Amino acid sequence: MGEHKLYAGKDIYFWNFVVLMLFTLLEVGAVYVSGLSVYTVWAILIGVGIVKAYGIAAFFMHLKGDPFIYTRTALFPVLFVALMLWGIGLSNPDSILGLPDWCTPNYDWAYVIE
Amino acid sequence: MSGSLHDVKNDIWMKTVVIGIALLVVGGLAYGVMSVGIASMKHHAWEDTIIPYENAHDHYVEASDEFATADKAWEDAGRPASGEVHDEREDALEHYEHAFEEYDHAEHAKIDAHLSYLTWKTAGITIALMMVVYASFYLVAGFFNSIQPDDDPYAHDGDHEEHHGSASPILMASGILLFMMGFPGFVDTCKAVLGLDYAADYGGFTISVVGFMIAIVGIGNWWREDLAGHHEQVALGQPFGGQDIRKAGMWIFLMSEMMVFASFFSSYLRMRTEWCTQWAVDSGRCVGPADVVTASDLLRHDIGTLLPGAINTFALIISSYTIVLALKTAKDTKWTVSDNKLMAKLFPTRKKAVRNYLMMTLALGSLFIILKLIEWSHLVAEGFDINTQAGSIFYVATGAHGLHVFIGLLVMLFMIFKADTVGYDEKNGRGIEYFGLYWHFVDLAWVAIFPAFYLY
Repeated sequence: MGEHKLYAGKDIYFWNFVVLMLFTLLEVGAVYVSGLSVYTVWAILIGVGIVKAYGIAAFFMHLKGDPFIYTRTALFPVLFVALMLWGIGLSNPDSILGLPDWCTPNYDWAYVIE
Repeated sequence: MSGSLHDVKNDIWMKTVVIGIALLVVGGLAYGVMSVGIASMKHHAWEDTIIPYENAHDHYVEASDEFATADKAWEDAGRPASGEVHDEREDALEHYEHAFEEYDHAEHAKIDAHLSYLTWKTAGITIALMMVVYASFYLVAGFFNSIQPDDDPYAHDGDHEEHHGSASPILMASGILLFMMGFPGFVDTCKAVLGLDYAADYGGFTISVVGFMIAIVGIGNWWREDLAGHHEQVALGQPFGGQDIRKAGMWIFLMSEMMVFASFFSSYLRMRTEWCTQWAVDSGRCVGPADVVTASDLLRHDIGTLLPGAINTFALIISSYTIVLALKTAKDTKWTVSDNKLMAKLFPTRKKAVRNYLMMTLALGSLFIILKLIEWSHLVAEGFDINTQAGSIFYVATGAHGLHVFIGLLVMLFMIFKADTVGYDEKNGRGIEYFGLYWHFVDLAWVAIFPAFYLY
């Protein structure tokens, strides 16, 4: 599990804690940095969220090092979350009209009824 | 085979009765000092801002009318660049700007004073209520356990494989069922007692209170069974073959919890994609002005309003770390007292160190609940209530999360008691590990909720 391994005299839990605290600072700070577009803030929030979620699940919840069946158990509902997010996308008008050009090559817009 | 057995006499539970009374005293003091003492001073301060605010408002309306009249006269005169009409308009404009500044200042002073009053009032009430619930668990469960006949943990002829089935979860679930059945009546009765325009429903109130007591007794019985310890059962079938049943069960439970929070989250995101919020206007997704105000619109623009949520985020991360430290200390057979004097005083023995880390976790979790309710009181005061779509999903999602935190705190009450009496070590430390999974999950859910509901 690597919990007994020391890095600069401290165990992995300590460093995970430090990373979580720093990334939370970054998360809160991103909203207050002037000049950042909303998309940049969005990207920071999602990126920070992924790093924090990984840190908590992998180290604090011991998924890294525990038998893989626990990771599989934890990932199982993620399938449903992905399906729900897909449903959100499909049920939103932007899922057709708001797609970027690179996502709709040779698309026949005559089929789109507004 | 892991786990351990302890010959625990049930009179040890009388200690929880004493702790329960101490908690009631703390709750009473917090209520008295914060909600009655400081809050009443803050209320006077708030009242003191109302007359200046009303004067400033009248002055502002008057100046606004004066300026409108002067401006019309100036327009009618053909917008002259100088002369009496021009000068009168300039004077009226200056007067109006000054009046607006005063009004704005008075309004902010009034809002700040009101929020300050709400902060102290809510903090005092929340601490008092939390202490009443904590004390209820300690008093009822502790007293119930202390009068039970002592068990003999070695009475099974060494049959370590014996199934330790328990009726406690069924008792607890039945109690919760009754509690929820009577809950609407309980709420209406509480509102009626508080003097609000509601008809008391004493039948529902009684069912709810009885259910609550049964739930506590069920939980208390469960506590008593766990305090004595038991052998850890191992799953024999696949896919968890060879793993501790409690750990596998906890992960399957967390799997279902993940679905609960995912449905809140997806509901919010689905609605959010339809709303014309300030964020959507800023990103060009809709043409302003924004017609939906979200909680994040009220919270994220000022560090003062975001502060409770931000502190809560740090509190949960720190509490995740303290519970990891409790587990690490419990498992560490080579644990020694720190050379640092303060640390040595805080954590004088391994047993006390585990208990104190758990108490720190409890304190941080309690802080989370207090700040959450303070933040809610501020939002409601600003008009962001549960009657809107944005308010509904915000309060339901963050409320469900807060409820999970609170349930975790109730479990932690027992863990602290166990750490203080029987103690956690390398043999029975898995209890902390499995509870820790739940607590980290609550932190994990907040990792998604905080940016989505507070920052986005």
